[in-house]
Amino acid sequence: MSCAKFEADVALYAGGDLPAERVAHVESHLAECADCRALLDELCAEKTLLTEMRDEPLEEAMVAHVHRRVLAEVAPAQPAPAQPARLYWKLALAAALLLAVVLAWPRHHRVQAPLVAQVPPPSVAPAPPQPPVVRVSHRVARHRRRAPVRKPGPPLLVQFVTDDPNIVIYWLIDQQTQGD
Amino acid sequence: MTAYRREESANLAVFERILSQCERRVLRVALRLLNNPQDAQDAAQEVFLRLYKHLGRIDEARGYEAWLFRVTVNVCRDMARARRRSVALEEAADPASAQADAYQEAARAQQREMVRRGLARLGGKERAALVLRDVEGLSTREVAAILGTTENTVRSHICSARLKLREFTSRWLRRRV
Repeated sequence: MSCAKFEADVALYAGGDLPAERVAHVESHLAECADCRALLDELCAEKTLLTEMRDEPLEEAMVAHVHRRVLAEVAPAQPAPAQPARLYWKLALAAALLLAVVLAWPRHHRVQAPLVAQVPPPSVAPAPPQPPVVRVSHRVARHRRRAPVRKPGPPLLVQFVTDDPNIVIYWLIDQQTQGD
Repeated sequence: MTAYRREESANLAVFERILSQCERRVLRVALRLLNNPQDAQDAAQEVFLRLYKHLGRIDEARGYEAWLFRVTVNVCRDMARARRRSVALEEAADPASAQADAYQEAARAQQREMVRRGLARLGGKERAALVLRDVEGLSTREVAAILGTTENTVRSHICSARLKLREFTSRWLRRRV
């Protein structure tokens, strides 16, 4: 049986954890006490076994399993980098399409607008020679007013149709003074 | 490639390097603390996912290993608490047993198994201190830093753990004889 009061110090001494100031004291006791030397031998053997555990090979399957699972969790958070060349082609194609739509849009709009203006004048037009009658809604009329009239011509008669079928407003415009 | 993407890729590269360097050590510590291969794999996975999450915030100068050990100990402790499962001693893997064909090697394997069982019977703090100090060979100061305690406390845990382990192995050997 080892000496109870030395057990703790011997346990620390076995692993090299005893503070330096107590080492000499323990070593002098070990020189005299066979029980404590036996305890030290057992603790050293135990420490050797523990140290050997460090070198025990781990099953590679276990290591690989953890490695695979960790990367599977982490990888989805990393979006695959887009290939630059392919990305540029996509951007160029999108830009070309956008440009084509922008160029085509005003022409299409200009073709549609005169169709509204070419409505035959109604029989109630007041003054001969009969100017062209334009039947427009408020929105179209505003648009027409903004658009400059390129060619001076006969006065333009604008007919405003209201919700009441009995009320029709006529607006005679001198194109020569309204132009610009 | 944007600066953000470049940074992400660089992080992933750093992470994969640390994973390859430290996975065995983390797994071994988890195995010693939990004494169950399946739990140890789960713990190791959790440790590395936490590493990935905190990669940019870890002080590189202090090294990743101390951080990994600290998190491993915490994860294993939490896992043991949450599962409230007694250590599966009978199911514990014995990597050396398959190779133990010679008598001497068999005796050595038996001793290791005895120590493993003894370790599993220690309290959480004592086991963590002993595994880090005696199995992983870290200094008392490093162990104290990892466990968030003082060197004196670590010495106290180590001393107590060594004596309990020795008591366990003595009883185990007496039963065998």
